[in-house]
Amino acid sequence: MRPTLQFSFPDGYDEQQLMSDLADHYSTKKERFVSESMAIYDTFDWRLFNKSLVLYESGNKLVLRKLFESTIIHSAEITAPPVFIWDFPDSELKEQLAPIIKMRALLKLAEVYSRATPYRILNHNEKTVARLIYEEIRSSPDKHIPALATYLWLKPVKGYPRYSQNLSKRLKEAGFTASKKEDIYFEALRVADKKPGNYSTKLNIHLDPDMPSDEATKVILRFLLHVIRINEAHIEKDLDTEFVHDFRVAIRRTRSALGQIKNVFPAETTDRFRKGFAFVGKISNQLRDLDVYLLNEVNYKAMLPAVLRDNIDTLFDYLREKRSTAFQEVISGLDSRKYKRILQNWDVFLNEPRQASPTVANADLPIIDLARKRIYKKYRRTVKDGNLILKDTKDEMLHLLRIECKKLRYLLEFFSSLFPRKKVNVLIEQLKKLQDNLGDFNDFCVQEEYLLKIAEELPATDQQSKKTLVAIGSLIGTLDREKQAAKDAFAKTFTDYASPANKTSFRKLFTSK
Amino acid sequence: MTTLALYSNKGGVGKTAAAVNLSYLAAQAGSRTLICDLDPQSSATYYFRVKPKLKSGAKQFIKGGKQVDKSIKGTDYDNLDLLPADFSHRKLDVTFNELKRSKHRLTRILDPLKNKYDLIILDCPVTISILAENIFNAVDYTLVPLIPTTLSVRTHRQLLSFCKKNKYDVSNIYSFFSMVDKRKKMHRELMAAVLNEFKGILQSAIPYLSQIERMGIQREPVAAFLPKSVASKSYQNLWQNIRETILSKTTI
Ligand SMILES: Nc1ncnc2c1ncn2[C@@H]1O[C@H](COP(=O)(O)OP(=O)(O)OP(=O)(O)O)[C@@H](O)[C@H]1O
Ligand SMILES: [Mg+2]
Repeated sequence: MRPTLQFSFPDGYDEQQLMSDLADHYSTKKERFVSESMAIYDTFDWRLFNKSLVLYESGNKLVLRKLFESTIIHSAEITAPPVFIWDFPDSELKEQLAPIIKMRALLKLAEVYSRATPYRILNHNEKTVARLIYEEIRSSPDKHIPALATYLWLKPVKGYPRYSQNLSKRLKEAGFTASKKEDIYFEALRVADKKPGNYSTKLNIHLDPDMPSDEATKVILRFLLHVIRINEAHIEKDLDTEFVHDFRVAIRRTRSALGQIKNVFPAETTDRFRKGFAFVGKISNQLRDLDVYLLNEVNYKAMLPAVLRDNIDTLFDYLREKRSTAFQEVISGLDSRKYKRILQNWDVFLNEPRQASPTVANADLPIIDLARKRIYKKYRRTVKDGNLILKDTKDEMLHLLRIECKKLRYLLEFFSSLFPRKKVNVLIEQLKKLQDNLGDFNDFCVQEEYLLKIAEELPATDQQSKKTLVAIGSLIGTLDREKQAAKDAFAKTFTDYASPANKTSFRKLFTSK
Repeated sequence: MTTLALYSNKGGVGKTAAAVNLSYLAAQAGSRTLICDLDPQSSATYYFRVKPKLKSGAKQFIKGGKQVDKSIKGTDYDNLDLLPADFSHRKLDVTFNELKRSKHRLTRILDPLKNKYDLIILDCPVTISILAENIFNAVDYTLVPLIPTTLSVRTHRQLLSFCKKNKYDVSNIYSFFSMVDKRKKMHRELMAAVLNEFKGILQSAIPYLSQIERMGIQREPVAAFLPKSVASKSYQNLWQNIRETILSKTTI
């Protein structure tokens, strides 16, 4: 069957005029209008929009469609507004969305109201041979306010193609346009004052290669401060764990920039802010650790033998309790005078006008030169460290390499706009594989240690908590095996990373000829 | 996917009335439904206001395949399509007979449509020859309207013995009472006797109602133009009954 067509009204042409014009050619039958509301959802970082998906709630249904398309991909019945993917009913909708939304909360972005009046087009037997639907969409259920959009839908009836072809032709002659690249999604969000895609965890920084290094560094740091501020404002609501996470990443990047982009600000200034941000970072350390364990609850359970699976609940109940204390600590930390002062001073510093002749060594250097120097040096350092590990794999060395790799990663991301995007991305991908391996190893180490520590903390007097200890013991066993597996995988991953081809790419991109 | 035939070897028993209303109710409940009018008299097609003509032509219909889909018409109702009757259907018996695998021609015609619909309902003409065998081979279940009269019951006996003789599984044949007049003593007595004699008699019966006759004037299923009427309710009960006792065995 031919698909439904969507038309936009020509200026000054309305429903009544359309129907009276059509009455000259067709007999029509108007039916009762259907009212529907449509609440649009997405995560704070626009995960659905970035995949060109529109998720909306209408009645007791949650519906997924593609942007610019009206065909429904999946829908599911719901009993409460959607928040987390784990609350969704088991459905194809859930399966498709889970890997996209992950741990992020869905936020209601906008709500629009549709009022659709169907008209049947009848033949001489009064048989329906096509349908027209007149639809008005508003930002409120009040039908007296002006519509955000009015559409005419033409739905062919199977077996009667000529009627819809003729109708379509007639509509086009009357000035109707088949609306293609238009979606009520944008209009609805515009009215709700939301800008699709306006927040992303990606570093969206554009640097000019000739910029003096101190200015360019401030551009990077101002971007990060912006991310810090956005997330900070949402932490209090505790909608999901990722506001704290993104907040922390921006702080870590800030600290890394201060340490890695050397000699662009006076040493005293850099030191002062490095100390300040070390303090700022610590505020949420405990909360983030706990979030990670709680997010992994299902995975932990899966690691346990079936007989022990329920016994771990005590541990997670305990962690949940600890989390609510840790969360309160973050809230008061963000509310503290010290925190506010650090951020305030930082803001002032970043927005200060540039001094005419800075005295610091690298301040005046074009940023491209400094970027090349720092990246290349850091790359060489990671290769050197990795080679030492190949000879003798010590846990501490793996940890150190992980930190060096992270610094390199941040540098590559800060400065990616200065180099050919595709080439940098290939290098980042390669580095990412090594980072994943080192990250896994580190995670298993940290988790193992943490569980040991928690086991000591847990009051273990009754039978139940003894069983919990057994379960924790079993988890530690599994984590230890995983840790060993990550360690075993290092050699291969690192050899790829330090391959001659990769080395050449780094040299070509980051050393001046 | 399920196929269901409204069939009887006796005329005027309410096959078409049931086929039209049951397919409408199934579609309303959300099943993608196709009603196939196999009767050259084309009553079902008429009820849906469609021209009794196969766009593909009779020859393509007999061949089966993709062409058949082109003849299907959307009805006025969501989820409900119709494969119209054609005057050429009066010769289906003869035509099938001349072909190879003559008892499986209808199966071949319907097969390509099966992935497009959840339910296919056949409205059959009176027959007990090769067309009947084609129907039994093509469908999952056969549903026979039974008027509680001596002659009707006798015809049903003939049908069952025909099926047994030709090795068709009679456990897939169900029947329901049609055009029942509870005021008639004979109807009541016969119904009791029939329930004793035959297996597969459904609980719900369709009473004799003038509302159902009005379908011919309205050209709509009674369940559509009088949704709250007794007629409509009795088809709803019948449909519910069919879903529970027959279709629960398959998925629709
Ligand atoms: N339950 C009923 N009450 C009253 N009239 C009915 C009932 N069922 C059907 N009729 C009417 O009886 C006539 C025959 O019914 P219908 O066409 O459904 O039977 P049929 O078995 O399909 O007949 P045919 O063998 O001619 O195809 C029609 O006029 C129909 O409107
Ligand atoms: Mg009939």
